[in-house]
Amino acid sequence: MSFKDVIDEEEREAYMLCNEAIVRAALEADVQLVSFYPGAPQTEILDNFERASNKYDLRIEVAANEKVALETVAGGAMLGKRSLTSMKSVGTNVASDALYTLAYTGLDGGCLCLIADDPHAHSSQSEQDGRWFGLTAYLPMLEPSTPREAMEMVKKGFELSEEFGTMVLIRTTTRVNHQSGIVPLGPMDRTPFEKVSWKDMKRPYTSVGELARKGKKEMLERMENIREKMADSSLNRIEYFDGKKLMDEGGSEEELGVITAGVAHSYTVEALSRLELSAKILKLGVINPLPEEVIKKFCEGLDKVVVVEELSPYIEDVVRRLVKDVDVYGKRTGHLSEALEYDIPAVILGLSEITGVEEPFDYKEHCRKMKKYAEILPQRLPVFCAGCPHRATFWALRRAVGDPDKVFFANDIGCYSMMCLPPIQWSDTLLCMGASMGVAAGVQYAAEEKTIAVIGDSTLFHAGLPGVVNLVHNEDDVTIFVLDNAVTAMTGQQSHPGNPKKAGGREGKKVDIRPVLEGIGVEKIYDISSYEVKDNVDTIKEALAHQGVSAVISHGECALYHFRNYRHAGGELVPYFIDLNKCESVHACVLNFMCPAISVMPEEDGKARIHQDICVGCGVCSKLCPKGAIKSTATMYGGDDKPVLTVEDYEKYQEKKEAEK
Amino acid sequence: MKGTNIILCGIGGEGLVMLSNVIGEACRLAGKNVISGEMHGLAQRSGSVIVHMRIGEEVLSPLIPPGEADMIVALEAMEALRYLYYLKPGGVVLTNKRLVHPPGETHDLVMKKIDKYVEYDEVVEAIKEAGAELREVNALSLAKKAGEVRAQNVVMVGALCSALEGVIPRDSLIQAVKGTVPEKAVESNVEAFELGVDAYGD
Repeated sequence: MSFKDVIDEEEREAYMLCNEAIVRAALEADVQLVSFYPGAPQTEILDNFERASNKYDLRIEVAANEKVALETVAGGAMLGKRSLTSMKSVGTNVASDALYTLAYTGLDGGCLCLIADDPHAHSSQSEQDGRWFGLTAYLPMLEPSTPREAMEMVKKGFELSEEFGTMVLIRTTTRVNHQSGIVPLGPMDRTPFEKVSWKDMKRPYTSVGELARKGKKEMLERMENIREKMADSSLNRIEYFDGKKLMDEGGSEEELGVITAGVAHSYTVEALSRLELSAKILKLGVINPLPEEVIKKFCEGLDKVVVVEELSPYIEDVVRRLVKDVDVYGKRTGHLSEALEYDIPAVILGLSEITGVEEPFDYKEHCRKMKKYAEILPQRLPVFCAGCPHRATFWALRRAVGDPDKVFFANDIGCYSMMCLPPIQWSDTLLCMGASMGVAAGVQYAAEEKTIAVIGDSTLFHAGLPGVVNLVHNEDDVTIFVLDNAVTAMTGQQSHPGNPKKAGGREGKKVDIRPVLEGIGVEKIYDISSYEVKDNVDTIKEALAHQGVSAVISHGECALYHFRNYRHAGGELVPYFIDLNKCESVHACVLNFMCPAISVMPEEDGKARIHQDICVGCGVCSKLCPKGAIKSTATMYGGDDKPVLTVEDYEKYQEKKEAEK
Repeated sequence: MKGTNIILCGIGGEGLVMLSNVIGEACRLAGKNVISGEMHGLAQRSGSVIVHMRIGEEVLSPLIPPGEADMIVALEAMEALRYLYYLKPGGVVLTNKRLVHPPGETHDLVMKKIDKYVEYDEVVEAIKEAGAELREVNALSLAKKAGEVRAQNVVMVGALCSALEGVIPRDSLIQAVKGTVPEKAVESNVEAFELGVDAYGD
């Protein structure tokens, strides 16, 4: 249910988020070294490890990127330490350079790498299917369906990794990572972290040319060994569904077989129950190497086999290759989709078409009918938080640029990605971490317009720096905007190399962005304070006018991070308010500003209103109000005895004013 | 295989995940099987948030199919209507009597793309028209009464407790509330819970 359970030493059952359960299982398995870069849907693994590191003796890093994280845990495993990293689907692309070669070298200690895919692209730029990493890198891969299975597989994964001398991959999806359920808490038998002698464990982890060819041969033999030993793994199981309930054993008359893995298993069973269909189910937990003999035997005597898996036909194509005398259904027959995540109705629809059993309920028609009632609603898209420094930076940037069509705007991955959403919709590209720099290099050759490239501080350290080096070396003409908000904000304000704190809140060494850019050779660098919107317009104009590489570093801490620290330190928020006598409904505080604390009052001629429970008091709106109608509650009745006013003070003041009327 | 299905929805930052944690923990305390599926990620940025909760021995999927939720609990009324397609015909919508206009709506109003804000009455009328049984709770005023403005979500847990009598025992819910909120806020949150319990009948 919460972090308390993750570190509770009592052996009992707990209600836990899968990501918490993964941390719990790794702690029980005595994991010694962990390293991560945050990213949905796996960030809570890092968050819980950070907190656990204050209780347990383990080494933890928030790495600059996923590749560094993977290399770090591999380094630990080379010295026999059980180690773990996890990354979001696309993070694996960054880490994959190390991943593919580590499969050649093998690893002696238990090493797990969890890949969290995001079917439906809920919080990712693509629906990438991470299962291919296991297959193409020759690494074993396990896939859980539930928090309980995830715990089992993390523990089993460490054992397999040590037994076979290779990294083990665990693949999850958003609906598994963000699923909560009842899990068993096991014993916490942890050992203190101790250094060991490299001399005692020494062997080469080198791969090139002749060594790589030798490594490849060993890797293939290792995989063959894994294939044999895991052929009858209990992580793959056969179940029977009699139309009502799930059983370990069944009759002999099932004609329908379903092969499934991951969260799709749960949708499959519930779809069968709604269709009252009986079926034999092969639930795969080991998805590389796939248990070919088990699959072949499972299909014997069946009329039809349906493969239910999200994204690519990874399992389905193997089944097609192995099984010739049974009809195989799935994506290749058009009954299930390669796009989007599944749910129970999606599987019902597929099974209904395949078996001819009628849908018990017209889900599509129901949704169409009910969604009609909701047509009166406005969209509720994510927006920059109240007090967000990005809102202020972009306001000034927009004013400096004038017409957005006058520039090419290369955006990047972070909270600022939200600039591409309606109603502002200002972004020409949004590809992947660090891409704004590389894209800008190409665009500035070809576009007549000025090229600007926006990147956050965490993203700059993650994958942006090689792009900056490239711009400088090639004497390109680009203005870079570094949004320095001190944290990796989008994922929940984790620290990064530019933050003075490292993992677990411990003191670290802050890597300053300005000297980094100076060292690379960026010709003109302008430091601005994000909230000084008016002054920033001219500074940004100057930066944009520069021919060559210029950089504007906009400093302003993430509002969630800043005001949380501020309140923990005893500070109280001082919200702003609208002076209704001065507001003339020009709406400078609304247009292209989108602050969740500001709405308008139709009953007061559309004058603006600041919600006192949402405003954090950044004051940017007051700076851009041409009528001077927005004021801090502190300016109303501050004074030496009470320089800081609270929301409560303001409410009392309002009540008093009401009473006076 | 259907169990008891509840959709929890609201706006990022309102404490919806905590609300689901309280229900999940209460189920565990009562020895009931429970599964939930939630969306994180953009949760803190005033976006729309939904959590699927399923209680019962045989439930497996973390997602409730459309048309199968017994109840929708909304911390903000527009979100109840947005996710109404999850509700089974004649199911219950338990909503906080509160409307929060998204910044995009204000923007559209100022740009004259729309001529007025959506009103609370319109929203609940649409919910009723769709055939749902509407229950309203003024969670903000009850939370204030309990002395903890932030306990609106716990008021809704109390109301949910009345609504789900027989599914989750009241004692388990109270124990879960106590175990979830900060120690110094236990008393006010329990008060908020009790006010919610009573408010459901009104």
